[in-house]
Amino acid sequence: MKVARYSLLLRVACVMAIVALALMAWSMLDPRPLPVLVAMSAGQALGTVSFLIFLAVVVSDLRRARAADDASTKRA
Amino acid sequence: MHASPLTLFALGCAAIAAVLLIAYVVMRPELVGMTKVWLLVALGILPVTVALVGNVEGFEATKTRKFCGSCHVMGPHAADSDDPASQSLASRHARNTLFGSENCYSCHADYGMYGTVVTKLGGMRHVWLYVTEYRNTPIDVAKQTIHLVKPYPNENCMQCHSTQLDLWQKNKEHKASLDDVRNGRVSCASVGCHGLAHPFWKPAASASAAASPEGVKP
Repeated sequence: MKVARYSLLLRVACVMAIVALALMAWSMLDPRPLPVLVAMSAGQALGTVSFLIFLAVVVSDLRRARAADDASTKRA
Repeated sequence: MHASPLTLFALGCAAIAAVLLIAYVVMRPELVGMTKVWLLVALGILPVTVALVGNVEGFEATKTRKFCGSCHVMGPHAADSDDPASQSLASRHARNTLFGSENCYSCHADYGMYGTVVTKLGGMRHVWLYVTEYRNTPIDVAKQTIHLVKPYPNENCMQCHSTQLDLWQKNKEHKASLDDVRNGRVSCASVGCHGLAHPFWKPAASASAAASPEGVKP
């Protein structure tokens, strides 16, 4: 269940990062006020959130693996 | 299109990151060590690189006359700067290779330690006003109402024309008005001195009086 949720979160993060990259690429290809502002605000916010989601999932997964190890050690 | 080597590098990074991200979304691999490294590159290292380069290129782009002229109300000012026959102060400075395509920024940027930051904040206000108030303002109306919020500071002229050199001080008009110029009581860009900076330019005070309630204040 939790692994499925990780997968979903990571796919959401990937889609957000793709949108962020598209906005940043747009601002470099067409450097006018609107693309530049959108890339520096919405683009970077999306990119930051997607990276934070990735970090949260990795940390959560590591903690889950550690807890599972501890549980198996106690059983043994 | 602004395609410096740095831009091409960033676009390459963005393309690689996009391929890695799409591959993850399509293939849905298990979250093992290798997948984490894959996503670290695609969600972290490459996008951060693109963002950093994007910021550098974005800030550089905001210095160009093409960028300033991309808002339609600034079109006449940019066109005047581009006109090789124009004798306006702005156009004459644009023909100076030290200013070149960045002549708007060179003259309108504030001076000092925080000058760049203050200028960028001012630019943000311009964009906000453009989007919220005058993006649909006809050019003819904009020419009548557009004006500076505060008088153009002589300090900006004095970034280059320091008023300290003998050649500058030998001019009798300069000599007579030296204190007034340095204190900002007489504008370098006034009709009696070096003329108006732009053909449609109006001093802040007179333009305020002429402006309609919907008048724009860049």
